[in-house]
Amino acid sequence: MAIFKDVPMVKEIFGDLWGKMIKDTEFGPKIKEGNISVLFIINDPNIVMYVDANGPIFDAEAEAKTALVTLKMDGDTVHKFWLRKVNVPKALALRQIRAKGPVGTILQLLPLLKPGQEIYPEYCKKYNLPMDV
Amino acid sequence: MSYFDLKTDLSAEDIALKDQVHKFARDVMRPVAKQFDGMKADEVVAPDSPLWPFLKKVYELGYHKALMPEYYGGLGLNPLQISLVFEELGWGSFGMSVGMTVLCFPFYCACLANQEHLIESYVKPFCECTDASIRGCWAITEPDHGSDYVATAEDYFRSPKMRGNTQIRLDGNEWVIDGQKSQWVSGGTIATHALLHAQIDPSLGFGGNGVFVIPLDSPGVTKGPALRKIGQRDLNQGEIFFDGVRVPKDSIIVEPDYYVPMMDIILAAANLCMANWAIGLARASFEEAFNYCKERVQGGRPLIEHHSIKQRLFTMFSRVETCRVVGRAAANLNFNISPPFVEYSLWAKTQNTQMAYENAHDAIQILGGYGLTEEYLTEKLFRDARATLIEDGNNEMLAAHGGHILAETYPRPPIDF
Repeated sequence: MAIFKDVPMVKEIFGDLWGKMIKDTEFGPKIKEGNISVLFIINDPNIVMYVDANGPIFDAEAEAKTALVTLKMDGDTVHKFWLRKVNVPKALALRQIRAKGPVGTILQLLPLLKPGQEIYPEYCKKYNLPMDV
Repeated sequence: MSYFDLKTDLSAEDIALKDQVHKFARDVMRPVAKQFDGMKADEVVAPDSPLWPFLKKVYELGYHKALMPEYYGGLGLNPLQISLVFEELGWGSFGMSVGMTVLCFPFYCACLANQEHLIESYVKPFCECTDASIRGCWAITEPDHGSDYVATAEDYFRSPKMRGNTQIRLDGNEWVIDGQKSQWVSGGTIATHALLHAQIDPSLGFGGNGVFVIPLDSPGVTKGPALRKIGQRDLNQGEIFFDGVRVPKDSIIVEPDYYVPMMDIILAAANLCMANWAIGLARASFEEAFNYCKERVQGGRPLIEHHSIKQRLFTMFSRVETCRVVGRAAANLNFNISPPFVEYSLWAKTQNTQMAYENAHDAIQILGGYGLTEEYLTEKLFRDARATLIEDGNNEMLAAHGGHILAETYPRPPIDF
């Protein structure tokens, strides 16, 4: 069974998480400075999410955007990533995560996401998501 | 000599970058490369060698971190810019291009691993370094293992018969390394750090290997003499020996369970570099021949007015343009997707090094006896080009690997995102 029970749950969690990261951490200014935008294509549940310095948008609105980086993975991998339980090079090598966009930008995106990984456990508690994955 | 770029919409930044690197290749690399070419291998790395001021210049200009992400202090080049820069470096000297780029290899792969202790201990200091005191190498090939080290698709790759010359075992909180790497380790005798491939579980053959980022100042590390070879004498290469060398447990960046696909990712990146330096080498040979043909008179008229010479020069020009299209296309693909489509890197490396070699060969033929002498650059270009057919996997082995990938995946569907 998938960790995220449905699309509204993903939207609620990540709508809030991205918003906080952009507003309260170095992530916001950094992606604005680097003109970085990311499209997440997530399976199970199926959802498309686009993030840039203006915040996250979802579904058809997101699909219409052209992002610098596109990341494709399943919902369980998303959850594990934010819990810092994904070995990213391993996941890329085994095609559990697929990425499109300049490799250099992807490499610099990873450390920028750390503030989100620090606060993600709060969402796990709030939404009763397993942390021992 | 400048060239007309088929890509007519290069940005002002791209053009400035290209011009800056060309100037460095012409005014700094070529004179130093010529000096190194005439020196003994141990003289090249001696304390009073021009190598050290050259490397310091490389670090001051930031060329050692051309592949590193901007976030950590790297140049943050996009795939096209990497291609532009590498072509110019390859034009300056293929061997020195390898030497300048391998400096970053352990640190680039440490970025891929994305582990904080590696970033703090290795990546940031490397990117901040301006005195060339932090230098990486790629410690992969071994006395008993050359191109079979990258033949991940062959049935023998995972056979216990593939016994590595470099063994590593976990002892408490440390890895213990014993064995040696071959004399073809680029940067081997001058490196302070290594991207080390070593065998953890010999029962799995090379499928039991891992990749590590290690310092080379640990007790038990010794270096062999610098290698003298037919070409690329301006590229330091030499053995590294390990005798009970202990490194922290967290030095590992690739474990056996994903070593094989990661080996392909590393190979794809390395082959892209080779392919793009080869553009510069092919162009250098063409230009040497072209300039000579305008000056050299045979049969009462300049060589360039001879019909057969025009044909040959056009063939050389065509190879340069083809190399550039191939190198850029492969870079644009595989520096833009993860994991990469390895066969396109293999395609670019094998084709571009072959075309660069043919251009170097033709340049000598056009220059005749003069082309064989040290008075002209052509003989060095030819020797350098010969080495590229073997470097980073000999072309036959790489082609076989590419053929295996085709057998498994052709035709690839379009990228589905």
